[in-house]
Amino acid sequence: MTESLKVRVDRRDGLAVVNTEGYINNQGGEQIAQAANGLIEEGYRTLLLNLAGSKIVNSIGISILIEVLERMLELQGKLAFCNLTPTIQKTFHIMGLTQYAQVYPDEPTALAELRSPATPQGS
Amino acid sequence: MNATLLPIPAERQRRLFELLEEEGAEVLFLRETLQIAREALAIDALAAYLDGEDACECSAHVGSGDFPPALGRGEASGWPSRRLAGGLLLLSEPVEDELPEPLALLLALGLRLCRLRANLKRLDFDAKYRGVEREAIYDVGRAITSTLDLPHVSEEILVRAVSLLDARRGALYLLDDTTGGDKEGRYRLQSTIGGTAREGLAREVDPETADLLPHAHHQLAVSIEVEGERRGVLVVGDKESRSGVGPFPDEDRRALSLFANQAALALEQARLHEESLERERLEREMQLAAQIQQGILPRALPAIAGYEVLGWTRPARHVGGDYWDVVPLPDGRFAMLVADVSGKGVSAALLVSTLHSALRLLLARGESTSSMLRAVNQHLIDFSASNKFATLLLVALEAESGAVAWVNAGHNPGVLLRADGTIERLDAGAVPLGLLPGPTYGESELALDHGDLLCIYSDGVTEATSPAEEEFGLDRLEAVLRGQLGATLPELRGMLEHELREFVAGQPQGDDQTVVLLRRR
Repeated sequence: MTESLKVRVDRRDGLAVVNTEGYINNQGGEQIAQAANGLIEEGYRTLLLNLAGSKIVNSIGISILIEVLERMLELQGKLAFCNLTPTIQKTFHIMGLTQYAQVYPDEPTALAELRSPATPQGS
Repeated sequence: MNATLLPIPAERQRRLFELLEEEGAEVLFLRETLQIAREALAIDALAAYLDGEDACECSAHVGSGDFPPALGRGEASGWPSRRLAGGLLLLSEPVEDELPEPLALLLALGLRLCRLRANLKRLDFDAKYRGVEREAIYDVGRAITSTLDLPHVSEEILVRAVSLLDARRGALYLLDDTTGGDKEGRYRLQSTIGGTAREGLAREVDPETADLLPHAHHQLAVSIEVEGERRGVLVVGDKESRSGVGPFPDEDRRALSLFANQAALALEQARLHEESLERERLEREMQLAAQIQQGILPRALPAIAGYEVLGWTRPARHVGGDYWDVVPLPDGRFAMLVADVSGKGVSAALLVSTLHSALRLLLARGESTSSMLRAVNQHLIDFSASNKFATLLLVALEAESGAVAWVNAGHNPGVLLRADGTIERLDAGAVPLGLLPGPTYGESELALDHGDLLCIYSDGVTEATSPAEEEFGLDRLEAVLRGQLGATLPELRGMLEHELREFVAGQPQGDDQTVVLLRRR
């Protein structure tokens, strides 16, 4: 596993996908937050975090993700996750993230759901 | 409140009260108060910072000022500022006027509310994270018991240890029979997270002092021990916090040891699994060997006019060290033999196979029993392990006359039960085959009359043991034979096996049991 997280952003018709690869820790979390804040500044209010390349997250990383989520909620925006490992999904569930952020099995499902007018809440 | 001291319109006062009652509106309350202060001071922007342990963080700001997200403890970093209870106010421009006291109180209240809210969130986060930790321990335990894939379990254990200890990096090294270690017998890197780790560690490495993670500023390492012996090392590096990395507190050692113990369990589990696979492999080999050996035992016996003949073997394991045969000889006689090679299992079966081949070839040539056994003896000395030998009782029957020539090479005495119930024994007169070079195997002779029964057998019969550790013995065998004088040979076999079963009463069979019976009608 590499030293630091890699982040790639895809902008798609009003919503942005943040793809991560690596450890979501202090550094990794900050990189995600930086990418999310940049997208928010650009006006995006729907963000999808695709964590297909991330198998590990620690408490600092989670707390940063919670802050991103809080900011999105404050702006009446929407944050969603997809491609979570079972371990990370369970962690997010216990930490309460899934109460406020939708979780989808994969990116196509997430994009379809997030674009539909009646997006179900939670997962 | 005094409207002259606190210039807040009634509408905004109502809003403040509403926010006080609204759950989770602490930041909005602070922001509303900042907005009131901004208007009162007639400046562009304001920000409120909450005092933290090592830094002041911005709780809220209003206006267009670009304030830093965090400050050093109590530092205003060159911004115009006002000190508040529990925090700091940054202003976008210098102002002469002091804040009206009630407004300062409101701001302090806002900060206090934000602090309480932050504390509550932290406690809630910590409580939930304890749940994550419990689940992690449970999941690792389940992974250990549900999979035998050691690399997968190692990865799982390292991921959990690194993430739960908020380490930036980590590595798991193993020295294990299953993974093999590396060529120099060092601990081999099994899994790593967060950058470089050493490829291998010397056997005598001291995890406490060795530099196991070259890029780490701080490391914590524990041994993975199985039955007091170190089988691996689990190491994590650089404890993360929001402000960077630092050393691991003492309590993290206990948590890391817990994961090391689980790794030890996984190793032990993998080793037991390997052993079980090895046992299965051996079992399959034994079954195959048994099939092969079954092929060298007689499938059909030659018909001998005027005689009944029956033989069987019951191996103690899949493959045994007993061998019996009934073979027509070129001179018209019939050879009948029981042999017992030393040992049991595959090694004994290999010797049986050698003996079988040699005897079959030599019997077909029609050589005399004594010269044939000398040749077999030499063959075994030349081509089998020095501690391997075989006992054998060989009889050659001239059917018409009933004349029997026999040689006993260190074997149990054969039993000749005469029709009148008297018994003669065919005692050993020569050394076993394969022990010593150049012995003589002299023939003895006897004559079978009508109704006489000849029984040759292996020691697995007479040494069958009862729960009281008493042997079945030759006397009991002879008694069974004598008691069944009128019985057919299959009936006699049935009775003998029944008596043996009754005698051992469920004790495991310690040795192969072979019997060959020949009766002159």
